Amino acid sequence: MKRKNVYLIPLLAALALALPACDRSSPSSDTPAADASQDRIVGSRKGDFGPPQGEPVNAILTSPPMVPPATGRTAPAKVIVELDVIEKVMPISEGVDYTFWTFGGTVPGSFIRVRQGDTVEFHLRNMPDSKMPHNIDLHGVTGPGGGAASSFTAPGHRTQFTFKALNAGLFVYHCATAPVGMHIANGMYGMILVEPPEGLPEVDREYYVMQGDFYTTGKYREKGLQPFDMEKAIDENPTYVLFNGSEGSTTGDNSLTAKVGETVRMYVGNGGPNLVSSFHVIGEIFDKVWYEGGTNYQENVQTTLIPAGGAAMMEFHLEVPGSYVLVDHSIFRAFNKGALAILKADGPENKAIYSGLEVDEMYLGDRAGDSLGAVAVAAKAQASGELTVEEQMAAGKELFMGTCSTCHQGNGEGMAGVFPPIAASDYIKADPKSLPRVILHGLQGKVTVNGEDYDSIMPPMNQLTDDEVANISTYVLNSWNNPGGKISKEEVAEIRTQKPANASAGH
Amino acid sequence: MIRVIAAAVLVASPFVGVLAAEGDYLPIPAGRFASALNYEDAPGKQPVAAYSMMRTPVTNADFLAFVKANPKWRRDRVPTVIAEKRYLSHWAGPLELGDTAKPDQPVVQVSWFAADAYCAAEGARLPTWTEWEYAAAADETRRDARSDRIWRERILRWYSRPSNTALPRAGLQPANVYGVQDLHGLVWEWTEDFSSMLMDADNRNQGDPDNARFCGAGALSMNDRDNYAVLMRVAMLSSLSAEATTANLGFRCVKDTP
Amino acid sequence: MKSLALSIAMAVLAGCTVAIPASAIAASPAAQKVPLPGNSVYQLDVQLTDQAGRTSAWRDRRGKPQLVSMFYTSCQYICPLIIDSGKAVQKQLSDAERARLGITLISMDPARDTPQALAKVATQRKLDPAQWTLASPAPDDVRSVAGVLNIRYRALADGEFNHTSALVLLDGEGRILARTEKMGSKPDPEFVEAVRKALK
Repeated sequence: MKRKNVYLIPLLAALALALPACDRSSPSSDTPAADASQDRIVGSRKGDFGPPQGEPVNAILTSPPMVPPATGRTAPAKVIVELDVIEKVMPISEGVDYTFWTFGGTVPGSFIRVRQGDTVEFHLRNMPDSKMPHNIDLHGVTGPGGGAASSFTAPGHRTQFTFKALNAGLFVYHCATAPVGMHIANGMYGMILVEPPEGLPEVDREYYVMQGDFYTTGKYREKGLQPFDMEKAIDENPTYVLFNGSEGSTTGDNSLTAKVGETVRMYVGNGGPNLVSSFHVIGEIFDKVWYEGGTNYQENVQTTLIPAGGAAMMEFHLEVPGSYVLVDHSIFRAFNKGALAILKADGPENKAIYSGLEVDEMYLGDRAGDSLGAVAVAAKAQASGELTVEEQMAAGKELFMGTCSTCHQGNGEGMAGVFPPIAASDYIKADPKSLPRVILHGLQGKVTVNGEDYDSIMPPMNQLTDDEVANISTYVLNSWNNPGGKISKEEVAEIRTQKPANASAGH
Repeated sequence: MIRVIAAAVLVASPFVGVLAAEGDYLPIPAGRFASALNYEDAPGKQPVAAYSMMRTPVTNADFLAFVKANPKWRRDRVPTVIAEKRYLSHWAGPLELGDTAKPDQPVVQVSWFAADAYCAAEGARLPTWTEWEYAAAADETRRDARSDRIWRERILRWYSRPSNTALPRAGLQPANVYGVQDLHGLVWEWTEDFSSMLMDADNRNQGDPDNARFCGAGALSMNDRDNYAVLMRVAMLSSLSAEATTANLGFRCVKDTP
Repeated sequence: MKSLALSIAMAVLAGCTVAIPASAIAASPAAQKVPLPGNSVYQLDVQLTDQAGRTSAWRDRRGKPQLVSMFYTSCQYICPLIIDSGKAVQKQLSDAERARLGITLISMDPARDTPQALAKVATQRKLDPAQWTLASPAPDDVRSVAGVLNIRYRALADGEFNHTSALVLLDGEGRILARTEKMGSKPDPEFVEAVRKALK
């Protein structure tokens, strides 16, 4: 990636030029005093409370799921952030390793907490043993590339840039070195919280959770060190969708904990690279959601959408003890790709709010015996003797549904490339007797049906009686635009004795 | 045991139209097998001893003979703690199948206790889950077809059929590589250790640190999360109590290989 | 019916001077003639061998409300809590109530839970044999006992068991009145209430 610092100056100049145009009431002042009337200043400039005051502060960084304490400051400060880039192998699931690229040695990276108006001096240090150069784009930065252009750091180098946190909110940061998608897919994201000047309301607990999608060449939970799979990433077909970078990061002994009666605030981000998260906590309703990590909150929310490269804050009060499961409610991700975490709440039961199981008793329904009528119909399926075509069809349909439909489908269409169609089949049309023959003796080797080649094995269905084969054959012949006709049990008995060359072996 | 032969004419193949009769057990050779369930105490492939298994599930005719020989298992005599009220309720009478239960359909509406007693009367036993899963991993040509996507889809297709139509007869499906039929696609089947399925009522809690409900370890989880057919069966067995019966739950027996 | 078991039951009764409602009189021969209700766990025909080495039918416990649970003696984790739970329920009762309630812990590990092993636990945990019975069924009957009590268990490769831990309250006829899966020294208040009611 080429450095584009060049942009910075013209762009800032343009910004300065543009400002007087929007601010008709006063001569422009580049740095308004902290006590200047804020309402005549628009946009991000509202968050500029002047130069930093007091001694510089070293930011406290935390690893997930912990969150640094509130800044507690009332004036803008200079905050120094030192973040290390570490490439390391860590488990992504039990027995499965992955080479993660990280901010601060964890996925997601260290949580940064500053106050609106703070001046942040940002140091990015890339470990000497890194394979890759890296940089950082903080969505909380006002300036091109979010800092990416000023933080492009080769292995064994340190870079520094400074920005003023003008907007309050919860912001994602991520690596933006080409190929950007791969750096993010390898875990290079985290969050920075910019508190509003008055801070956030006090809560009992705060947690940091971030979703990401991961792409490995091996299947889900396939053991060993798994490489990154570019094809899957481009197809947006992840092997894993995870909270905090690994299966089990936030379950079992690593579960989040809280007590009944407490209010919990969660800072939830989505690093992507591809998926949008439908974030939900099973068994809880969010009392408040600062959707998209912004300033306003919505109340009484079940599921909130968190875009890739976006975040949300939510609070809920715990009333009932138990384990609350955090999921991406795109639910196959939760149960087949790993997107679940657990918050365990301890405390006294509250049966008035939630009783637990009260009744499990026998329920007869009002349709008892409803399906028994069908048995009488099925009796025809075993009928023997001289049957009309209609009777054979009725019996044959039952039998077909009971055994053939698992491969050839209920509508006879088969499965493309695997099981040939028996609907409107030129194969059957050319030789209706092939039906009972293939049913009884099976088939192996290549066949062409309706212009498509098939090469799988049909097992011999010699467990069927002559009547059954005759009825199934007659049903198929008279269904789905096949030519019609009738196969008798005598014909079947005859065919049973003649094994064709392409018969398949039984078990 | 009364042997019931369908009204079919017996021709070339010895299996035609024959119901599982006493002694119709097929040998299942020993092997090493990785369950789809994630047993933390026994991960990976575990040895399975040889046993023999009934060709098809026990039929109404078979079970009627058992009840006639052991009248305490009549539906009008069994205590509810051993078999709930629905036990054999689809039969016309305590000793009569009638039009609503065909002799060659698999018997359903039987409790675990009843299935267990039937097998014991045969000098057999219910299969363990592992034995059942091991035999059911086979398709027509392979002993373990579980990794075949097409095979899985076939099984799932069986499950996607509604259960409000009459059950097909036992023995209608093609035999698997061992000669065993109907392990899939006909009825659910009891296992001896059905109540070892420690699945949570809310399975989403996998990873719940507070799983003291199950002493010693958490609930079972699936090793093989794509194997929805197995997952459904385990969920079904987990939901049952031993006196319960359902309209599509039957059983078959196995015998130890001496 | 085992006359031995009868005489023991009578002896236990004799030792207790509290007036007992007629319905709770244990194991009088007359009471045994009344057929068991269909939903009684005593419909299950199993023999139990207790910590004193006596073998008798489970249904001989008929006549007295019982707390029943399943456990095994080599269990380090939850099973001690099951005993704590039984004791915790007892603590909530008056002396008279306590005397009217039997506690039966049935082993899911009969292979190892010999009378000696059971007696060792009873001694260690100071379990009064007047109320506490620790017993093993025949190995083939464990799954059935678990079946009527709706307890689930699985034997692990290392000889331990995974199992659900429950206290089940039976009335004198062996019908299940209540159950709790809350284990430990803080008893489930609703369950205790059900026990008190059963002892009235």
